[in-house]
Amino acid sequence: MIPTLFGITVVSFCIMQLAPGDPAASQLSGGTVGRGGETPEMYQERKRELHLDKPLLLNFNYFRDFRQTVRLSAFYLSRTDEELLAELEPLGDASRDPGAQPEAAERLKFLRSVGIPDFNSRLADRDRWPTLPKLMEYYVGKLCGDLGTAAVRPAIDILQDSTSPARLKIGAIHCLTRMVGQPFDYTYSLPPSDSETAAVILPWRIWWNRNKATLPRPSADANVYFGDAMKLMVRSHDEFNNAIVDIGGSKKYYAMAKCYFAETLLSDSPLDQKVAASAILKQLVPEPLKMDLANDASMKQLDEVTANWMEHYRLNQREYEPSSLIRAWRIVTDTQYAYMVVRLVTFQFGNSTIHTHEPVITMIWNALVVSAPLMFMSELLIYLIAVPLGIVCGVYRGKPLDKGISLGLFVLYSIPPFVAGMLFLVFLCYGDYLNWFPALGLHSPNASSLSFFPYLWDYFRHAFLPIVCLSLFSLAAMAMYARSSLLDVINQDYIRTARAKGLSGPVVILKHAMRNALIPILTLFSTFLPAMLGGAVLIEYLFGIPGMGELGFTSIDQKDFPTLMALLYVEALVTLVSFLITDILYVVVDPRITFGARGDSA
Amino acid sequence: MREGEAYLDIVWRQFKKNRSAYLCLWLVGLLMLQAIFVPLLASNVPLVYHDGPTTIYPWYYHLFHPSQSIDLVFNMGLLGFFPWLMLAIVSDWWARRRAISGRKRLAIIFLELLAVWAAMIAVAWIPATCPRDPYGDLNFPKEQAKDPQTRHGLYVPLPFGPTEINLPSRLEPPQTSPHPPENATKFNQRFTHWLGTNSNGEDVLAEMLYGTRISMTVGLVAVSLYLAIGIVVGAIAGYFGGAVDMVLSRIIEIVLLFPTLFLILTLVGLLGQNVSEQGGQQIYIAMAVIGITGWPTIARLTRGEVLKQRSLDYTLAAQALGASHWRILFRHILPNSLSPALVSVPFGISGAIVIEASLSLLGFGAQPGQPSWGFLLHVASQNYHSWWLVVFPSLAIFFTVTVFNLVGNGLRDAMDPRLRI
Repeated sequence: MIPTLFGITVVSFCIMQLAPGDPAASQLSGGTVGRGGETPEMYQERKRELHLDKPLLLNFNYFRDFRQTVRLSAFYLSRTDEELLAELEPLGDASRDPGAQPEAAERLKFLRSVGIPDFNSRLADRDRWPTLPKLMEYYVGKLCGDLGTAAVRPAIDILQDSTSPARLKIGAIHCLTRMVGQPFDYTYSLPPSDSETAAVILPWRIWWNRNKATLPRPSADANVYFGDAMKLMVRSHDEFNNAIVDIGGSKKYYAMAKCYFAETLLSDSPLDQKVAASAILKQLVPEPLKMDLANDASMKQLDEVTANWMEHYRLNQREYEPSSLIRAWRIVTDTQYAYMVVRLVTFQFGNSTIHTHEPVITMIWNALVVSAPLMFMSELLIYLIAVPLGIVCGVYRGKPLDKGISLGLFVLYSIPPFVAGMLFLVFLCYGDYLNWFPALGLHSPNASSLSFFPYLWDYFRHAFLPIVCLSLFSLAAMAMYARSSLLDVINQDYIRTARAKGLSGPVVILKHAMRNALIPILTLFSTFLPAMLGGAVLIEYLFGIPGMGELGFTSIDQKDFPTLMALLYVEALVTLVSFLITDILYVVVDPRITFGARGDSA
Repeated sequence: MREGEAYLDIVWRQFKKNRSAYLCLWLVGLLMLQAIFVPLLASNVPLVYHDGPTTIYPWYYHLFHPSQSIDLVFNMGLLGFFPWLMLAIVSDWWARRRAISGRKRLAIIFLELLAVWAAMIAVAWIPATCPRDPYGDLNFPKEQAKDPQTRHGLYVPLPFGPTEINLPSRLEPPQTSPHPPENATKFNQRFTHWLGTNSNGEDVLAEMLYGTRISMTVGLVAVSLYLAIGIVVGAIAGYFGGAVDMVLSRIIEIVLLFPTLFLILTLVGLLGQNVSEQGGQQIYIAMAVIGITGWPTIARLTRGEVLKQRSLDYTLAAQALGASHWRILFRHILPNSLSPALVSVPFGISGAIVIEASLSLLGFGAQPGQPSWGFLLHVASQNYHSWWLVVFPSLAIFFTVTVFNLVGNGLRDAMDPRLRI
C-alpha cells in the first residue's frame, strides 16, 4: 500500500515533468507570445509558488560554493545592453582561443552553463549578437532565482565587503532581488495573528526612524478624524475600503495620515488596529524600504538599499546559514519532488491556473457532485440488469434464448459508448427526428424555480441518455462475464448434490451456484468504478455535463496543471481504494480466502 | 490430436472450425486490402489527364507524394502488392515441393511481404523527399471533365480526395445522383457524394475509406509496441522472481492504477504540445502513447504463464543441460507462454482503434487534413443536424470493432477451450 502510494506520486511527478516549460524562452528567442498569455514574471512567480525552481530529486545546493557564480551573475546583471554587447567581443575571442584570456574564458564557461538556447551558435554569428543581451540578462536572472536561499550568503558577502566596487554591489542587489521573493512582510496575512506583529513592525520601524523628521505631525482635529476612521476600518472590509478612499480624498488630513498610522502601528495598540494601520500604510507608502535600484544609482541610494538588505539578512540569518544537520535534511526535503509529495499527501492542490483561480479542491468537489450520482446510477443499472441476464443465459445454455441474448450482448459489447451517445444525440435530442430528450447539461435553465417533483423529472430527462451510454458497454461485459462464471460453477459436483437433495431450481442457482459465481464478478467491481471516473470523459464531453471527465478534459485543454495533477492523483487513489474494497469483499463473500495472517499454515 | 502436430497447427485447425471467426479473419484481410488499395477507389486527381496534345499521369505522381507519411507506406504497399503476391505464390509452390511445414511457409511469405514493403519504401523515399511538384499548381477541374471534347481526365471510381475541401457543396446529404437530376449525364453521374459531405465540403465516403489507414495503423503499431514491452517485462518478472518480480509487479500495479483513457489523454496533450507546435504529429504520438500505456495487462498475463511454465520438467531439463538463463527463458519458456498474450491481441487492436477514435473525437488525435473516423465524428460533434456525419463513421467503427472482437473470440476458443463462453 505505502510503496504503491509512493509509486503513484512518482508517476504523477514524471507526467508533470512533461508539461511545457518556460514561456519566456520562446518569447525571448522567437518573439512569439508565451502560452496562455503568460508573461515571464508571472511564470517566475508561479514557479516559486509551486517550488518548481528547486532541483528535481536531490538538492545539494546548500553544500556548494556559489561565490564565483554569484560574483559573475552580479557582474552580468549590473550591465546595460550596450555594455553586454561590448562584452561579447572578448567572449568571442575566448571561444576561439581559450588560452589567451583566462578571465574571459571563465566568464564564457559560466554563460554556457546558464542554459541560453543555442548560445554557441549565437556567439559565433555576429549578426545574431543583438538577440543575446536580453537572453543573457534573463537566463542569469533565472539562474539566481533557481538558486534561491542557497546563494544569498555570497551575495551578502559582496555587499559587506568594503573593497568591492559599487557596480558589483548593485549587481549583487539585483541578484538578491531575484533570489528572495518578498524580503519583508509589510502587512498581516489572513487571518491575522499576534505572532506576526514583530515581523510586520520591524520594516515599518526602520522606515519610521528614517522619515520621522520629514513627516508632518497630525493636528488635534486630525487625530479625532483618524480615530473615527480607524473605528470604521476595523469593522468590515467594505468600511475599510471606504475609509481609505475618504482619507485619500481629504486634502486637509492626507499629509498627516502616514504619521498617525505609523504611530498607531508602532505603539502598543490592539491587534485589529495594527492590522488596519499596516494595511493602510502599505497603501499610502507602496515601497517603504527600497530593495532594488537602477544601474546608475548614486552612492547614497546604494548605501540605503544595502542597509535594507543587511537588515533583511540579519532577520533571517538562521534560514540563510543553516546548520549542517539542516543542510543535510534539505538535500531530500528542499526539492521539487518533496514539495510535491507534501502537497499531494496533505491534499493541498493549490489554485487552478485558469482565469477563475478557484481552489482545485472545490473544482473537483463540484465536478464530483455532478458525476457521482450518474456513476452510481449507471453502476446500479449494470448490476441490476447484467447479473440476471447472465444467470438466464447460463441456465438456458445453448437454447435459442441464450443465443439471442448472447448475440445482443455481443453487439452491445462492440458499440463504443461515445458512438452510442452520438447516435442518441442525433436521433433523439436535436429535434430533427425525435425530440425526446434535452441535449445539453443536467438541468433546464429554469430548473431552480421548479418544485421538487418537476425538478426530479427534469433531472431524470437530462440524465437518462448519459446513464444509458455509460452502462451499455459495461453491462454487456458484465453479463458475459456473469454467464461464463456461472457456467464454470454449474457443472460442479456440489450443484448436482443440491439438485439430488431435491432443492428447487431457483434455490440451487441463486443460493448455491451464485455464491461461488459471484467471486469473479467482484473483480470487475474494482475495474468499473475507476473506469467510469476516467471513462466518462467522452460522454460528459458529448452531453455537456460539468463532471469529473469534463474537468479533466478542460484541464488538459487549457494546460491547468494543478488541476490535472490533482485529478490524476485522486483517480489513482480511488482505484487503489477500490482494489482494497474488492479484496475485503472477497473475504466477505468467500470465507476460504485469507490474506496471509491466518492462512500461513494452510 | 494428430501425430507430430505442432501447437499452432492445432490452434489453426480449431480456429477454422469456428465459421464466424474464420469469416471475420477474411474480413480483417479485406479491411487491410481496402486500406492499401484505397487510392484505386478514391482519388481527387485523374489517372490520365489529356490537356490538348500532352498527356500526364497525376495519380501516379501523387502516389509518391502524399501529404501524410502513413499514406506513403500504404501506397508503397499498393505498388508492391502484386509483385509480392507473385513472389509468394512461387515461393509457396517451391516450399511445398520441398515439404516445408505450413508454419514455415507462412513465415516465409510474411518475411517476403516485409522485404518487398521495405524495398518499395526505400525506393520511394527518394522521389517523396524531392521538393519539386510539377502538378502542384495544376488543378483538375471536375466540371471540365464533363466535356470530353476539350480536355478530360480518367478518374478512379470515386473522384474525390479525402481532404479535398469544396465549400460550395458543404453539408450535402447522401445522394444517389448529383443534383439537379435533370441535367445528369453519363459523365457527371460519377461525381456523386454517395455518403454526403461534411461542413468543409469533403466527401464523407472518401474520408472514411482513407480513415481505414489510420485506424489499422494505430491498431497494429500500438498493439505490437505494447505486446513487445509487456512480454519482455512479464517474462523477466516471472522467470527471475524474487526482488525483480516484486519491483516489476509493483510497477505494473501502479501503471494499472491510473485510468487508461485519462492517462493517454494527458500524455498526448502534454507530449503533443512539447513535440510540435503545429500538432500535426499528434496522431503518431497517440499511437506511441497507446502502446506505452497498454503493456501492464500483457505483462501480467505473461508473468502468470511464465511462472507456471518455470516449474515444469522441461525447464529443469534445460537447466540440467547447462543452458543459460536467457536461452531457457526466450527459447524454451517464452514460446510456450505466449498464448494468453496472443489471445488478447485482437481485442487490443479493437481497443486501440476505439481509443484513437475517441482521442480524435476530443480533438487530440487526428488533425484537420488527416482523414480518420474519429476526426469525422469530431466534425460531426459540432453540428448534430447532419445524421450522415455521425452514422457512417459510427458504422465503420462498429464494424471494425465487431470483426476484431469476433476474431478474438475465435482465437480464445481455439487456444484455450476452458475459457469458452
